[in-house]
Amino acid sequence: MIETYNILSPDFERDAPRELMLLSIVSQSIFQPFSLEDNLLVILTALTSGSGVGFNRAMLFLKKGDRLMGEMWLGPRSAEEAGLIWEVLSTPGIGYVEIVEHNRALVNKSEDTLSARLKGLVYAADDEGALIPAYAACRKEILHVRDAANDPLVDRRFLNIIGIDEFLCIPLIARDDIVGEIILDNAITRTPISPSDIKLAGVCGLMAGNYVYSTTLHRKLLDMEKMAAMGEMAMFVTHQIRNPIVAIGGFTDQLLQPGVPEEKRSRNLAIIRDEIRRLEDIIYQMGHFLKVSLKEPVYFDPGPVIAAVLDSPQVQAKARGYTLSLKLDPCPPEILSDPTSLGEVIRNLLDNAFDATPAGGTIQIRGYRKSPKAFVLSVRDSGRGVTNPDKDQLFRPFFTTKENGMGLGLPFTKRVMDTCGGKVEVRSRVGKGSIFKLIFNSRERESTP
Amino acid sequence: MKKKILLVEDEKPLCLLYEEELSREGYEITAVMDAEAALAALRSTVFDLIVTDIRMPGKNGIELITEIMGLRKDIPIIINSAYQSYKEDFMTWAADAYVVKSSSLDELKAKIKNLIGA
Repeated sequence: MIETYNILSPDFERDAPRELMLLSIVSQSIFQPFSLEDNLLVILTALTSGSGVGFNRAMLFLKKGDRLMGEMWLGPRSAEEAGLIWEVLSTPGIGYVEIVEHNRALVNKSEDTLSARLKGLVYAADDEGALIPAYAACRKEILHVRDAANDPLVDRRFLNIIGIDEFLCIPLIARDDIVGEIILDNAITRTPISPSDIKLAGVCGLMAGNYVYSTTLHRKLLDMEKMAAMGEMAMFVTHQIRNPIVAIGGFTDQLLQPGVPEEKRSRNLAIIRDEIRRLEDIIYQMGHFLKVSLKEPVYFDPGPVIAAVLDSPQVQAKARGYTLSLKLDPCPPEILSDPTSLGEVIRNLLDNAFDATPAGGTIQIRGYRKSPKAFVLSVRDSGRGVTNPDKDQLFRPFFTTKENGMGLGLPFTKRVMDTCGGKVEVRSRVGKGSIFKLIFNSRERESTP
Repeated sequence: MKKKILLVEDEKPLCLLYEEELSREGYEITAVMDAEAALAALRSTVFDLIVTDIRMPGKNGIELITEIMGLRKDIPIIINSAYQSYKEDFMTWAADAYVVKSSSLDELKAKIKNLIGA
C-alpha cells in the first residue's frame, strides 16, 4: 500500500516539539514562491511567534555591497500589542500564507513601526574593529550580549534603538560569506535567553543565510537571462530591420539617378512599398509578442475553436494543394486554456506545418484523450522536418528556420501552454515531417439532462 | 573580358539591387539565393570573386566559405551581412573582406574593386 503526503503542510500534532514546528515553518517559507522580503518576514515570525522559538522581537540586517543595513524589525511595541499579535499567530490551523499577510500588514502598518527606526542603521560589513551588532557578522560568530549598557563593544546608536541589555546576534552565513544578521530579544517579557534558544536560533540562521544567498543568486541569474534574451533580440531585430532598410535606401538611390525609365520607376516604388510593409509587420509582431497578456485559463470545449480556425479564410487559402484532415474525439472533454490564445496557437502550428511541407503533402490534426485528465491536440505534417540541434532551439524567441520568420510563434505557443499548466512536445524526422503535441489538463463535461 | 562575381543573397529585393548595381560597375553577376545553388554554380563556372550573406536558410555563409575553401582556395570572398557581430567569429576571418550591409553600396563596390579591379 502506498500513502501520499503533501510536501508543504506537514500535519504535526499540536504537542509536537517546538523545534520541529519552527524548522517546518522556516523550510516551508524557503519553498514558497513569495518574494525574498516576505519569506524573510516568515523566518522572523517563526523566531518570534508562540509556536516558534518564542523570542519577543526579531531584527534583520542584510548585506548590500560592502554594507550591513537594517532591513526589517518584527515584534510588538508594547505588552498590549504583544498579546494581540501572539493571539492571532497561535490560532490553531494558521498557515504560512496567513502569517505572511498578517505580518506584511504589521510591518507596513504605520510609520512608527520598529522597521522604520531600524532603517537608518548601516555598518561596514567587513570591519574587524566593528561594534556590536556588526561585530557578530564580521567575526561570523553568534553573540549573546547580557549587559549591553556597560559593554563598550556595543554601538550606542544601536543600543538606543533596541533599548534592552540582553539580546542575541545571529550572523547569516552562506558559503563562508556574510549575507546578513538577525538580532533577537525578549524586550516585552524580559525572559532570559536560554542555551537551547541560542542553538535553535543558530540553526534558523544557517537556513536563512543559505536562503538569502540562493535567492540573490537566482535574481542575478534571471537578470543575466534577461540580458542575454535582450541581446539576442537586439541582434535579431537589427538583421530583420537592416535588410528592408538597405533595400529601401538602395532602390531610392536608383530612383534619384537621372533618366530612370518608367518601368523601373514603378518597380522600385513597388519594392519600397513592400519593404515598408514588411517593416510594419515586424514592428506589429514584436509589439504583439512583447505585450500580449494572456487571460486566466478556463475549461471549455476545444471543438468549436478548432473548427473556427480551420474555417478561417487564411487557413482555407493556405490549405489549397494540401491534404488537410481532422480527427477529433466526437465527445471531447473540456480543456483548460484560454480560447482566444488557443485559436492563435493552432493557427501558428498550421502555418508552420504549411511552410515546412511542399505542396501535395499531408497535414493531420488530431484530438484525443491521453488519460482521464489529459487531452492532446496534435498537428502532424509530412514536411522537411527539423534537425536535432534546431529542435532544441525551437521554443527560444527569435529562433527561426524560415526566410521571413520572426521566431515568435512557438515561444508564444509555449507561453500559452505554460500559463494553463499544459505542455507542448515536438517530435521530428528530417525529410519525413514533424508532429507538435499540445497536452492540456482536462475534465469530463457535466452530463446535460 | 568582364570579371565574374558570384552573389549569394537570400533576400529577393537585395539580390536584385546588388545584381543591378554591380552590373552597372561592369561586372558579370551570377546571383543565387542559397549555399547549395552557389556550390553548383562554382562547379560549372570559374568566378573571380564571391560576395556572400551569412544568415540564409539551409547552409549559412560561414559553412559555405568552409566548403569553398575545399574547392578553390584562391578565390577572393567578401562577406556582406546585416550583422556586425559575426566579425568576431574567427571563421569569418577566412574571408578577404567583411562589409556590413548598408543602403549605400559604396563600401562594397570599393572592396570589390580593391580585390579584383574594375
